[in-house]
Amino acid sequence: MRLVGANVPRVEDRRILTGRGHYVDDIQLPHMLHATFLRSPLAHARITGLDATGARQAPGVIAVYTGADMKEISKPIRPVIEMGLTPEYYALVTDKVFFVGDLVAMVVAESRQQAEDACELIEVDYDPLPPVLTYETALDPAVAPLFGDLDSNILATSHTEGGDVEAVFAEADRVIEVELSQHRIANVPMETRGLVADYDDGSGQLTVHAATQSPQGLRIQLATTLEHPLDKVLVLTQDVGGAFGLKGNIFREDFCACIATKQIGRPVKWIEDRNEHLLASGHAREEKISAQVAVTDAGDILGIKAELTMDQGAYPGLPFGASVFPAFITLLLPGPYKVKGYSCDAKVVTTNKCTYVAYRGPWAMETWTRERLIDIVAHELGLDPAEVRRRNFQEGAEDDRLITGLSLWGITSRYTLDRALELIDYAQVRKDQQVARDAGRCVGVGFATFIEAAPGPPEMRIGGGMFGGEQAKVRLEADGQVTVITAQSPHGQGHETTLAQVVADEMGVAMDQVRVVHGDTRLTPFSVVGTGGSRAATWASGAALMNARKVKEKVLAIAAAQLEVADEDLEILDGMITPRGVPSKAVPLAQIALQATLSPTSLPPGTDPNLEANERFLGEGITGSGWSGGTHACVVEVDLGTGAVKIVRYVVVEDCGRVINPAIVEGQIRGGVAQGIGQVLYERAAYDDEGNFLAGTFMDYLLPTATEIPTIEIEHVESDPDGEIGFRGVGEGGMIVAPAALTNAVEDALLPFGAKVTEQYLPPAKVLKLAGVI
Amino acid sequence: MKASAFEYVRVSSVDEAVAQLAELGDEAKVLAGGQSLVPLLNLRLANPAYLVDINRIGELNFITNGSGVRVGALARHRDVERSELVARVNPLLAAAVKLIGHAAIRNRGTIGGSVAHADPAAELPTILVALDGEIEARSSRGARTIAAVDFFDGFLTTTLQPDELLTEVRFPSLPTGGGWSIQEFSRRSGDFGVVTVVVTLATGNNGTISEASVAFGGVAGTAVRAPSAEAALAGQTPSAELWKAASQEAAAVLDPPGDLHSTPEHRRHLAAVLTERALVEAYGRLGQEA
Amino acid sequence: MQVELIVNGSNYKAPVEPQRTLADFLRDDLRLTGTHLGCEHGVCGACTVIVDGQAVRSCLMFAVQADGSEVMTIEGLEKDGRLHPLQEAFRDCHSFQCGFCTPGFVMTALALIEEGTAPASEEELREELSGNLCRCTGYQSIVEGVAEAIRRTTETGAIGAVESGAS
Repeated sequence: MRLVGANVPRVEDRRILTGRGHYVDDIQLPHMLHATFLRSPLAHARITGLDATGARQAPGVIAVYTGADMKEISKPIRPVIEMGLTPEYYALVTDKVFFVGDLVAMVVAESRQQAEDACELIEVDYDPLPPVLTYETALDPAVAPLFGDLDSNILATSHTEGGDVEAVFAEADRVIEVELSQHRIANVPMETRGLVADYDDGSGQLTVHAATQSPQGLRIQLATTLEHPLDKVLVLTQDVGGAFGLKGNIFREDFCACIATKQIGRPVKWIEDRNEHLLASGHAREEKISAQVAVTDAGDILGIKAELTMDQGAYPGLPFGASVFPAFITLLLPGPYKVKGYSCDAKVVTTNKCTYVAYRGPWAMETWTRERLIDIVAHELGLDPAEVRRRNFQEGAEDDRLITGLSLWGITSRYTLDRALELIDYAQVRKDQQVARDAGRCVGVGFATFIEAAPGPPEMRIGGGMFGGEQAKVRLEADGQVTVITAQSPHGQGHETTLAQVVADEMGVAMDQVRVVHGDTRLTPFSVVGTGGSRAATWASGAALMNARKVKEKVLAIAAAQLEVADEDLEILDGMITPRGVPSKAVPLAQIALQATLSPTSLPPGTDPNLEANERFLGEGITGSGWSGGTHACVVEVDLGTGAVKIVRYVVVEDCGRVINPAIVEGQIRGGVAQGIGQVLYERAAYDDEGNFLAGTFMDYLLPTATEIPTIEIEHVESDPDGEIGFRGVGEGGMIVAPAALTNAVEDALLPFGAKVTEQYLPPAKVLKLAGVI
Repeated sequence: MKASAFEYVRVSSVDEAVAQLAELGDEAKVLAGGQSLVPLLNLRLANPAYLVDINRIGELNFITNGSGVRVGALARHRDVERSELVARVNPLLAAAVKLIGHAAIRNRGTIGGSVAHADPAAELPTILVALDGEIEARSSRGARTIAAVDFFDGFLTTTLQPDELLTEVRFPSLPTGGGWSIQEFSRRSGDFGVVTVVVTLATGNNGTISEASVAFGGVAGTAVRAPSAEAALAGQTPSAELWKAASQEAAAVLDPPGDLHSTPEHRRHLAAVLTERALVEAYGRLGQEA
Repeated sequence: MQVELIVNGSNYKAPVEPQRTLADFLRDDLRLTGTHLGCEHGVCGACTVIVDGQAVRSCLMFAVQADGSEVMTIEGLEKDGRLHPLQEAFRDCHSFQCGFCTPGFVMTALALIEEGTAPASEEELREELSGNLCRCTGYQSIVEGVAEAIRRTTETGAIGAVESGAS
């Protein structure tokens, strides 16, 4: 393999570097209008009056829509695949507002500024209602359900057990109880949400220029909810400025813009501004776990009982509501350890807040909880957290399983921990720590290990796994170029490059002979998830590879017949079909392609002139354990005067199987770690006691900058790289485990003060509180 | 969001500017660097009917020396940061300006704009209060000089009248042979200080403290001095214990706000810690050539 | 109002409303969409352009204020199909992923390089870049890209192919 494994420069780069990317706000269509939204200033209230007369008459205004209009011209929003309870709601509120930022009205005008001016003229009367803002209130049966058509504010519950948890707890030397809480944060890509919806009355076609992770998912949801013929909905996605899970959702604003363009007959653009984005696009990670860990005094982790509560905000996410994610948390919580008894009760509650959305490793609570618990156990037992992990790791042998059932064959957790501690020079760090402590400085070291099912062990991949595998189309063009049409919808992952690397290697052509096409629902295969769940490296690459192979077989069959050799005696080198050892008889790939196009019937009998393949990849040829994973380790120094946490060193040992493009993989890891650091030290999507949102600008919601993120050292472990598809997913790992490594390090630093970190948000004030300084 | 419409008036002299302000009064806002004002307009937190753009008033763009550094309202932060004169005559000011935001903000942001904006967490108001600086304002009614302590009136509020234009800021000299320090704690590089402490110190012939100024940003509605701490320092012999005592004294009287970035207890603690660090650093700079 | 300015070496004269930001003017009126809007409150730096030789947040400037000025945007770096050394360094160092923040970083770095006061240490360099937000990369590859660009432009002795007249 020549391109796979190399730091091939990205195909995407030139247009981005020269300012010629095509993001959705770059699109200008003739007669385009601009939409803006009037958003609720209250967390929970009934609307008793709404007068948009002034707005309708304002300069430049074409139309104003309210919930009453939505009820008349659209259906309630329901996911195409029902998952969990969904209240009845429309694209705009019909009688109650449910969070600060809820959609009260839409104004469509000739310019964004005019639309905003008109918005200020809409008069709304609100009758405030008591907001539900905490787990306790949401769980309280005496509190009225927010949504009248649901029985309570509990949307979903589940109970999972593995092993004999009561027996295991009975035999423990002690049971340690901890309540761990993870705060609300937000994905915050640099590009906000937005779309241009363009309805052409003549043809009936609705074209949606979208910044989405899933063009086909968006398309089918729009068609269903808007009752628009599916074949007349076209979604086009070009460059997307980051998403991290957010833009896999379909938003009420999307429906609104599409409804407006259909009603008005002119294109309607809505680009979210940053304040709206922080307020209303989506929040993530607000979960808590009450845990009990049964241990022996020697450090065996016998069993875990967990009660998970997840705050999904008011409206469920679409298509994946919060109710989908506890299953992943529940499944993975025991991690790569020998836990013998396990139970997890999960609840998802509604509150008067912004919608919970998936954010890069949305099940990360399982890693944070478990890795925090291990350290807490270690500290209580007076043991080294590294030793507790080593004592409890499963080896990854054939019979090793998660207590929840999944095979753990092939995991490399132990190796990654040992290697990470070696790289960070753990023994020396402990010595240095003591010296620092003696000098009054506060230094800590923390580490954490995770496993990620990307794509997961064989039993998770049966029939193509959760999403039925993936389809791709590969076509050899008449000029010898190879087109790969993928269901992926990249937003920074470099799929135009990585998929080209895989296919170029398979076809035996140069990188620039392969063109990857995405983001056009006329061409791209159906996938409800598009890009997400770290699936590209395996499923999308697998689909591209499989179909490239089929095209190659067809071409070789033709060449073999023409050259009168056996198929197996041919190879393609740099675009030339060459009989092995006889380069003088080589024939350009392009020649066969042109012939197949111009005169298909002149090809040898029995060969197929249709040089394309469009099959669904269901996982055949995926080798290796299916588990990505790794260990992150970091050293921090805490300034006991200010509470600032400085990350002195950060080391990653990550195993994602065969690496397609190391630079791209490292970029993904570092980006995820940076977000994890932001999550712990800087970011909080905060509400006050009345449900007012407090972090609505970048002065309030603090993203880390180049001075807050350290150098991140990475070592790749390519376990089981061989075989057809030895790649495993990697994009989410950094974010899954970094918060655990970092909080472990901070607690370690503050151990002399008896600190126990049970809340994940560690701003300076909190750090000093933990240290007993304030 | 997009700023709502306004009438735009560009002036090229102070006389023109004050004439406009006399006519427009509180319907107008002055546009200098825009780094504080334009975000407010873009967030629709302000929507003045008129913007008076003073960026072309050449006579307001100067940095000179005369009983302290005198800076015209339109001097950009960047120019003050790079001024050889300021580095020589008032290194505290030079250090403070470097802490303002980031390069792109300093390229446009002006000394006058920052002072008139009066954010209590900002560096320049804190420096001015520490040094007992002065602000010069002009209107059609004439010119007046306002002491810093009288100028800053509350959160984002000054005693400038709607028809007045801030024309000049005077930063008095540091005590001769004295030391100085600015200690700012912020969540991230370039952010407003959660707490900022400015200290100037001088000692007399017998080595005891002859002058001491301690000022805080970020702990109240305006930048404030710490008179009880200054009193605790006056006439005392420098020592580690003195710095500690004075900084505790300085912090004890504060009643700081809580917000997303910090709690009252944290700010109070920061005030003590940073004051101590500032005193140590200022003392270490005593007698150094500026 | 009329505004007349030079953008990437070309003269433009256009009517503009006072409240139109320079960013919106460049993007929507001149169709130079390489400059991006990430926040419109001056924090993220995605909108950074060079005005009269200085890096400026174009979301915090009104187009009318740029009357008579020389502006350079990301589109102005490439000359006759050749990338600027800074762009090449970014490409070679994989200094971006989704690309949304990239033009802002490139213009910030360009201003830094052209000023000739290139930071001496990585810490200083990170500080100079701390006014631009990126959510994808974790910054390391951006820092490498800028450091590499500084190395390359110092070696060749040339600042680079910037001949638009912006000083």
